[in-house]
Amino acid sequence: MPEYTPFEMIAYTGSRVLEDEKIVFVGTGLPIIASMHAQLTHAPGLSMIFESGPLSPILEMGMPLSVGDTRACRKACFLKGLSAVFELTQRGYSDYAFIGGAQIDMYGNVCSTFEGGTYNAPQTRFPGSGGAGAMAANCEKSIIIMALEKRRFTEKVEFLTSIGFGDGSADYREKAGVTGAGPYRVITNQALFGFDEKTRRMVLLEVLPGKKAQDIQDMVSFDLLISPDLKEMAEPTAEDLRLLREVCDPEGYFLNRKVK
Amino acid sequence: MKRKVSSKIKKVSNLKYDRKMADEPFEWWGPSPDEARRTMSNKAKGMRDKCMPLKEAVGRYVRDGINIGIGGFVNTRVPVAIVHEIIRHGARNLTLSFQSNSICAELLAGAMILDPERVSIRRVELAWWGYEVIGIAPLLRYLTSNGMIRLDDYTNYGMSARFKAAAMGIPFIPTRDHGGSDMELVNRGQMVECPFTDKNVYLVPACHPDLGIVHVTAADIYGNSRIFGAHCTCPEISMAAAHTIVTAERIIPNENIRTYPNLTEIPYATVDALVEQPYGAYPGASYGFYWFDMDHIKMFRGICDEFRKTGKKDGLKKYYDEYIFGCETFDDFLSKVGYKKLRQLRDMDGGQPIILS
Repeated sequence: MPEYTPFEMIAYTGSRVLEDEKIVFVGTGLPIIASMHAQLTHAPGLSMIFESGPLSPILEMGMPLSVGDTRACRKACFLKGLSAVFELTQRGYSDYAFIGGAQIDMYGNVCSTFEGGTYNAPQTRFPGSGGAGAMAANCEKSIIIMALEKRRFTEKVEFLTSIGFGDGSADYREKAGVTGAGPYRVITNQALFGFDEKTRRMVLLEVLPGKKAQDIQDMVSFDLLISPDLKEMAEPTAEDLRLLREVCDPEGYFLNRKVK
Repeated sequence: MKRKVSSKIKKVSNLKYDRKMADEPFEWWGPSPDEARRTMSNKAKGMRDKCMPLKEAVGRYVRDGINIGIGGFVNTRVPVAIVHEIIRHGARNLTLSFQSNSICAELLAGAMILDPERVSIRRVELAWWGYEVIGIAPLLRYLTSNGMIRLDDYTNYGMSARFKAAAMGIPFIPTRDHGGSDMELVNRGQMVECPFTDKNVYLVPACHPDLGIVHVTAADIYGNSRIFGAHCTCPEISMAAAHTIVTAERIIPNENIRTYPNLTEIPYATVDALVEQPYGAYPGASYGFYWFDMDHIKMFRGICDEFRKTGKKDGLKKYYDEYIFGCETFDDFLSKVGYKKLRQLRDMDGGQPIILS
């Protein structure tokens, strides 16, 4: 197997998770790269939607560096503003929310608002919800990228920014007034997670070849459910890596970052 | 319709709040819908030439204590020229409202850190404040961890919907987000039971800024504006605000506007002052004209981060003295940036197609 970086593994796994003929509402960075890779391989009919306004652009000028990048508008089929794309999403046109965050709990609730201190005087304030809270609420399924660390896979998030299954009760999302079905996959470079239909708790679905379920559990603060059908994660081929490195992110803005 | 219902959000997270915003009596952070309506009905609606120097526009509409609605999105079509002029003019005790912004919010925050007697921000209603690929916003982090500003958090749709409600002349709008997140506990929205479905639905209040500041692709002298690339929330902000200052890359003939009226995103009646300001969003991007200047943004962000880490204001002061206070106009600033850089950014836009005819 060719060597690859943790970020390349996340992008490749993200790509695998996306189905053809769907619309994915992308956040900045790896979600865009994963979606571009999916379009180039198994999902040519996948469309992207960006929160600044464009639907189904052709990213022929290269990867947009952010969801507000003017390059994300290139040859779009429909281009208005934030209201229009989020309203399409409320209406049910966005199949996947593809987001990141700073912390996640066993029910897929995500924090991207602050860490430490209080809401009015936080130790570390993050940028805020941005589109993520609306995407997690109203895209049909949420895909969340997270670094696999104990402090990030936490018992309770410090601020619930992007809704998952809340306290895990069956009617949590209905009482919240949101429309999407909720968390679907959580992607890290060493494990892929899903959610149990009955309990809505996070389930370990796949591990990096060579890793065991216990290795993953050791990096998570809450008790994981383990799929009875636990699989090894597929690894990117030389051709997948060529696409990621030469076509999707040739400057290495996101794939060549150092792991902290 | 039941008021004050809630989702099951309580205690899902570890949220601690020292102030229960949701329990405070509701207060408009800018003009109320009635006040905003009165301002509009009292305005002269004639088609008149609204072009004026930016200094005059800011002098006319900026004063202490107002709510400023900032257009654009992160680094795209951000009204930087207007923000520079606001900093030179001075404005204290401001409320800022936007969905996602980078450089405009940080520039105002830096001005506050340097001289709070000139510029100060009291509170911000927002969804997101940062630089995306370039990094977190250091001054947001400084002001929040020191408890120097009050924030009111929504999603990007929430803030857009709030401007949209104001633009529609309605006092609130139902949204299908915020509920079941901690934003439900801290922001000024309200969960209610829908009178038609009997299910919970989250209402957010309209947001009428006193002043909307927006940069557009092109406008005629009356303020009829075209926007190419993402509209962001600029049409809504212009229509929501009591007054709006527009900077345009290019002034185009009214004849062109009348040939393709469908292309007008902001109608003249919502614009109070208009300034032709090429590169008015620099170092942000303006679709069809120039890409964003990552080097300049990184440089400014680096200076701000240096201040956050060391508490030393020298670098920050030098930047403002050089690029804002050392300039009479935004063109002076652009001269310091230099033709070569602007030319390079124009090339990097790649000639995105726009219609000026």
